[in-house]
Amino acid sequence: VFSRLLVANRGEIAVRVIRACRELGIETVAVHSEADRHALHVRLADRAVPIGAGPAGESYLVIPRIIRAALDNGADAVHPGYGFLSENAAFARACAEAGLIFVGPPAAVIATMGSKIAARRLMQAHGIPVVPGDAPDDQSDNSLCRALEQVGYPALVKPSAGGGGIGMRIVRDAGEAAPALTGARREAAAAFGDPTLYIERLVERPRHVEIQVLADDYGAIVHLFERECSLQRRHQKVVEETPSPALTPALRARMGEAAVAAARAAEYRNAGTIEFLVDGTGDQARFYFLEMNTRLQVEHPVTEAVTGLDLVQAQLRVAAGEPLRWAQESLTQRGHAVECRVYAEDPAHDFLPQAGPLLLYREPRGPGVRVDSGFTEGGEVPVHYDPMLAKVIVHAETRAAAIARASAALRDFPILGVRTNVPYLLAVLAHPAFDRGDVDTRFLDRETPAIVAAMHDAPVPDAAFVAAAAAFLGDVQAGASGRRSGGGSTAPPDPDAADDTRRRQDPWDFAGPWIGA
Amino acid sequence: MAAARLRGVAGTVERELTVADHGDVTIAGAAYRVAPLGPGAWRVSSDHASASVYVVRHRNGFWVHVDGRVYVVEVARAGAAARRITSVREHALAAPMPATVLSVVANVGQAVSAGETVLILEAMKMELPVRAPRDGIVSAIHCREGELVQPGVTLVEIA
Repeated sequence: VFSRLLVANRGEIAVRVIRACRELGIETVAVHSEADRHALHVRLADRAVPIGAGPAGESYLVIPRIIRAALDNGADAVHPGYGFLSENAAFARACAEAGLIFVGPPAAVIATMGSKIAARRLMQAHGIPVVPGDAPDDQSDNSLCRALEQVGYPALVKPSAGGGGIGMRIVRDAGEAAPALTGARREAAAAFGDPTLYIERLVERPRHVEIQVLADDYGAIVHLFERECSLQRRHQKVVEETPSPALTPALRARMGEAAVAAARAAEYRNAGTIEFLVDGTGDQARFYFLEMNTRLQVEHPVTEAVTGLDLVQAQLRVAAGEPLRWAQESLTQRGHAVECRVYAEDPAHDFLPQAGPLLLYREPRGPGVRVDSGFTEGGEVPVHYDPMLAKVIVHAETRAAAIARASAALRDFPILGVRTNVPYLLAVLAHPAFDRGDVDTRFLDRETPAIVAAMHDAPVPDAAFVAAAAAFLGDVQAGASGRRSGGGSTAPPDPDAADDTRRRQDPWDFAGPWIGA
Repeated sequence: MAAARLRGVAGTVERELTVADHGDVTIAGAAYRVAPLGPGAWRVSSDHASASVYVVRHRNGFWVHVDGRVYVVEVARAGAAARRITSVREHALAAPMPATVLSVVANVGQAVSAGETVLILEAMKMELPVRAPRDGIVSAIHCREGELVQPGVTLVEIA
């Protein structure tokens, strides 16, 4: 395939790509910020290159430094992961100009799909259904208001650039139009540098269902079925699964065909994802093209679990010019897979992101359990990046068995030192509506206050007091005898936290506040 | 070591514990056994059930993981002055990470109720509201709008 590949990313996805390369005999070059110098991806790569300070804008987003690191270290290819520069057409172009193979689609495809309006027009022209709406060239308030009237209320005002719900506004009647347009335009300009807006009819209880596609250089395109991603909190996916409990075989087949047609229309190469909005249930449900993600998705492992494919290896082979190895008829979904995103965030305080030490971090194991993470015990969650700690991916024969397996794995995933959303994930998995598969993209935003309130009311088990007391006495004993034995409360030290370690091992500190009390 | 009498506090929940020298622990008449399993890990058993429990000392308490949930438990010998165990966090609000103060919502002397936003920070490109943990009066504000603040430093005190 390649001889050496630079991974232009960090965290679990960098680790994921490095592992795939190792299996294919490709050497890896990691890049890292100062904050990540002890990170797992740096330790696993064959080479590691520092590229700047902690903030992504001074390291992982600096195109010339990444290109320089690739050339200086003799890399012949670059994998962008997701986020950061993965959907940046200028980066794909810079790689090509430097003679590096970019593991992803051509720069022109990234650019087209980066414009929601351009993507929408392209799909419409190829007969792929899009949400009823209008994208007028005349961007004046008058023109956009006319578009709103034509599309009908309730409608959605959306920016052409970017995503993540930024700049989106629901307009329920004509009176709400003017402030919505002003607000959306301001937010879009600030976040993406592009104030262009378009109008879509609002689908009240939509599902987000996306189809994974793979395309090679020779015109072969297959789809790898769907991922159900309706469980989102503030436009951030929380739990994903496949198959979708909402898709009938007929609907799945239609959406798969539409996804392949969309990839063909875009002249797509490599792995990509077509996001659809699904309205209704059963064979009669309607689906609409939303956008195309021109990269590997965070939730790709659920597809790997049910299809048996390795998507990162497939990406590397396609980028190296190999033809696809699979015909559509040979691909099937086996069993059910669920992914839960474990974040360092505090559900009790409005999901405030948490940074800090992973004093204790023990990943769950067992049949059908996979954990993708960029962290190990003793590491540190830096303040600069997305606070995702790990993805817990489970695979089982049925949906019910997969949900039970996901719950068991999450309960067996102790993380101490930073707050996490694990209790929230457990409550979501246990929710009766999720159990029925009866959710839409706004389900979590409606239900989260009740879920969090119920978490608060849970009693503290006696076992928590018993173990804390044992650790307290163990620390006192260890401090007195100058040694620590099994069962003490001290976790392995973070290599960066020499001061902190000294403090934790100081017997006077163990006695701490109770001295002289 | 002779039997120890301890007091544990987790949020608003308080328990008296008696720990015998071979790992027998009693809470309100319920008997448990506790045995070390390795670094940070304990086996806690009763007549009905047993569980693996993970514990680390962190800041001013023990962080304890039981079956997917994490509790912060402060422990002291019974009879130690009660005020020592009152968490600093109960009346002082600090930044959870390096952040910029976006706006100071509350004023000194103002009555706030639990959950009310007293301060808005910005970090990780997100607005982070800092809320009062309980009802009280804002007794001091130690930061200004636009200021870069470090974790653990008290920003607002609530009496």
